[in-house]
Amino acid sequence: MKSDRTVAHDLPVPEKGPAPGPRPASAAPRRRGRIRPWILVAVMALLAVPFLFPTWWMATSSMKTTSEILRVPPSIWPDAPSLEPYTQVFALQPFAQQYWNSLYIAVIVTAGTIFVASLAGYAFARIQFPGANFLFVVVLVGLLIPTEVTIVPLFRMVNSLGLIDTHWPLVVIPILGAPSVLATFIMRQFFLGLPGELEEAGRMDGLTRWGIFWRIAFPLARPAIAAVAIFTFLKSWNMYLEPIVFLSSRDKFTLPQALTQYVDAYGGPIWNVQLAATTLTVIPVLVVFVIAQRHFIQGLAQTGLKG
Amino acid sequence: MVQRRTLPALVLLVLGAGALAACSGATDDEGATPTAAAAAPVDLRMTVWTANEDHLALFDEIAAEYVAENPDTVSSVTFEAVPFEDYTTTLTTQLAGGNTPDLAWIFESNAPEFVQSGALADLKPTLVNAEGYEFDDILPTALDLWSADDGLYAYPFSNSPFVMFVNTDRIAASGQPSPAELVGSDGWTFDAARDIAKASTDQLGGAGLIVRDFNYSLWENLATVWGGWGASPWSEDGTQCNFTEPEMVEAMTWIHEATFTDGAIPGPGTNADFFAGDVTMTITQISRASSLDGTFNWDVVPLPAGPAGQQNVIGQAGIGVFQNGANPEIAADFLAYFTSPENAEKLATYFPPPRQSLLNTETLVSANPLLSEAQLESVVIGGITDATTKPSHANFAQLQTTVRGELDALWNEGADIEAVLAEVCAAAEPLLQD
Amino acid sequence: MTVLATSPRADRRQRRSAWRRRDAATGLLFVSPAVLGSLAFVIAPLVAVVWFSLHEWNVLAATFTFEGAGNYERMLADTSLHAALVASGWFSLGLVVLNISLALVLAVLLNQRLPGTTFFRVAFFSPVVVSIVAWTIVWGFLLQVDGGINSALAAVGIEGPNWLRGNVTAMVAVVVVQLFKNVGLNMILFLSALQSVPEEIQEAATLDGAGPWRRFWSITIPMISPTLLLVSILTVVGSLETFALIDVLTQGGPSNSTTVLVYYLYRQAFEFNEFGYASAIAVLLFTIVLALTLLQWQTRKRWVFHEV
Repeated sequence: MKSDRTVAHDLPVPEKGPAPGPRPASAAPRRRGRIRPWILVAVMALLAVPFLFPTWWMATSSMKTTSEILRVPPSIWPDAPSLEPYTQVFALQPFAQQYWNSLYIAVIVTAGTIFVASLAGYAFARIQFPGANFLFVVVLVGLLIPTEVTIVPLFRMVNSLGLIDTHWPLVVIPILGAPSVLATFIMRQFFLGLPGELEEAGRMDGLTRWGIFWRIAFPLARPAIAAVAIFTFLKSWNMYLEPIVFLSSRDKFTLPQALTQYVDAYGGPIWNVQLAATTLTVIPVLVVFVIAQRHFIQGLAQTGLKG
Repeated sequence: MVQRRTLPALVLLVLGAGALAACSGATDDEGATPTAAAAAPVDLRMTVWTANEDHLALFDEIAAEYVAENPDTVSSVTFEAVPFEDYTTTLTTQLAGGNTPDLAWIFESNAPEFVQSGALADLKPTLVNAEGYEFDDILPTALDLWSADDGLYAYPFSNSPFVMFVNTDRIAASGQPSPAELVGSDGWTFDAARDIAKASTDQLGGAGLIVRDFNYSLWENLATVWGGWGASPWSEDGTQCNFTEPEMVEAMTWIHEATFTDGAIPGPGTNADFFAGDVTMTITQISRASSLDGTFNWDVVPLPAGPAGQQNVIGQAGIGVFQNGANPEIAADFLAYFTSPENAEKLATYFPPPRQSLLNTETLVSANPLLSEAQLESVVIGGITDATTKPSHANFAQLQTTVRGELDALWNEGADIEAVLAEVCAAAEPLLQD
Repeated sequence: MTVLATSPRADRRQRRSAWRRRDAATGLLFVSPAVLGSLAFVIAPLVAVVWFSLHEWNVLAATFTFEGAGNYERMLADTSLHAALVASGWFSLGLVVLNISLALVLAVLLNQRLPGTTFFRVAFFSPVVVSIVAWTIVWGFLLQVDGGINSALAAVGIEGPNWLRGNVTAMVAVVVVQLFKNVGLNMILFLSALQSVPEEIQEAATLDGAGPWRRFWSITIPMISPTLLLVSILTVVGSLETFALIDVLTQGGPSNSTTVLVYYLYRQAFEFNEFGYASAIAVLLFTIVLALTLLQWQTRKRWVFHEV
């Protein structure tokens, strides 16, 4: 299923853009000269508030007492910052173990997905084989299925294999099932954009198809792989319904699940401890993102999603 | 996009997948066929909704003793702590997935549904015949909810009375009469409580009276209030809607006025917690006393009286044995051990038992170390006898959601109470008749 | 296959076709994990769900009786389901429109190479990595009638409503909370796409006298239209699957105004123990998602522009 490759022709003005909606002041009607940069920066700063304040509130509230958290109007900075909730995080649960669980599952899922998706994406993009279109549709179906729809049959399947309360379903299903379809799609898009000459050259040199893939195509796919890696890691890291359904022992829990466990005997959340645990979950990922975001964005730009 | 000749292939594919799916089956799997004479010792599993370390340690201790006494039948007992909020969901998923636990805790509001479904095993024969069990020691009223047709389908191991916690610092600071004194002089009514709540809020800020866990969605917790009017959501047999009866209309009117006219009860959309210190009083279960952290002075009194008198309300939790589990007989035997007089006394530390011999201050003092003997006597013991339970129904899940949706219209300033309650009944009737 | 080659050209053709056959086999091998995985973990459960939807399955009572189209007839008469469909419609419409617009605006802003761009890029993306449960809990606090949002509004003299207690305001709140959580992801996709729009074309258009607005509509949008298509499909599908947010923030209320289709499904399955009916709703949900996706895919020729 090759993408349509039409020659550039007159650029049509679409009658109905796909992104209607209110236009903010920054894209205001043309005026001679540009809009002063500082206005745009001010607009961005204002826009950033609803993005940043909740995370800020979460981190600072993790150092408050419960009554201060519930106080109205909310306080920006804790009266008497305390790291006590953070010690509670580890005392009330095997949090370190749960952190490790989430981490190693996410890493394995990411590696496995990259492998499966790049293989499949490459084949769909560059190899002719019977039924390619049909099989691609079969795979694409996974993009359209919400987890809630299939969780019960999946649970029965896993249960009949005796794999409940293990990490197997949390690793195998994301790699081979619905969550990896987006990755396959992205890889295919990228490989479609590869110039054919490189592979011709490889074939001349006597490489097998596997060799062409492994030695030529895959190394070139670094940007797409970076994008896939981040998407997949985040998805696995934030997985919520599946661990709840498949796991029952606390030391096997993953982080999103663990966060819901900071409750007193009656199910009432212990707010400051829960927020402390949440902060511990979020900060490392944010730090990694800050470091890696340049690569991530460049990676996406070069995946050929544009065409 | 899909070529024509691939359509038959698609059909074949679907059929093949269907065969695969059918193999995983849609009917309940029997994990292990229950063996009459257990060949090997089994592992029992009980789902619970508490993650409290102390609770679990106590359970493990009792289980270890049982295993020591019955090494041939049971090798271990696992207490699976399921998050409180997701408890029903997780239990349901396990049942749907064929992963039925041997025993499970059951909320009282779901009791009729579970009891009538036939999913639970009749415990009476096992309990009555268990050595030293003293079945007659159990309060008959406590068993009502869990019995059907002469059988007992779950055991109410926890009976926690609803009481009124009072922040005496706030009472003193606002110069209000003390509820404990009012109890003594027979003046402890809902009207009195409302007045105190309003006055203290006006002077000190914060909130006055909170029905904890109601939060404008779990309306069944209002039973602690409307009990004083003799109201009930539906008839005893569960077929008639009583929301439009005069008692309920009066009770709801009182609540509405206390909230929107007097400001004694905080309105919807606010977050206030008695145990954080700026609420005057709260109705909640006695076991919440463990949340008190000593930052303010407090007292605990029985529920106030309404126009129809004073009505005690308890919250119950039951333990049931699933017939479809792997080992129902052994599980029932374990349950008998778990709730025997000796172990019930140990459990009384956290879970007030329905046993008359244990409902005395000596036993309970260790359970609720924060309470004085006088408080225990009047509030706990007095609270369990002649108490009603929160509303329950075979169709509770649907009723809860439906009534909640209709009652949402009530929690506004200008609500027409009678009209809203009429809507409630209109929506609830089909579910009650079911 | 063992025909003796009679000429060099025939020989080459034979080798080529042998190579092609091996290549085809390799291709099938490469895609087999993904395909088999899809069969086992996507297609098979889907078929199972359709099978369940033809039965009445009460998990508690362990009854599983064949109903045929009974559940589907029930769907036709179920007013709560119709209400859920309407709620889903409003939610998805609001979310998709706002999400794509805001993501585009943010991406354009970030593409201007203004001071502080890196900081803002991280800021706008940060909610994506926060867990949805935590994000929702925090917003739950902020949306209280006397919480952060209304305090901020009061500072500018507006009296904020009781957000989570009004039918319309609750829907608005739910859309907005989900919007800020995920828009960063779409923004990054748009940003990448914008950065690959060749400068020369923009410069050429400026030389021809096109203003920024005209340039945006006639050049930028068409150049990023493939990304727009992808984002549009993903956002629509995602909006129909939004569950955790509603479960934590409103539980489908007040008065069921925020009970969207997937939440209604969850409720039927896990609160009412009606797995057969829930499966029928799942089939409905899948059909809607499929239809909307196909619709967007098939109409792409009209507005998605590909270049060599």
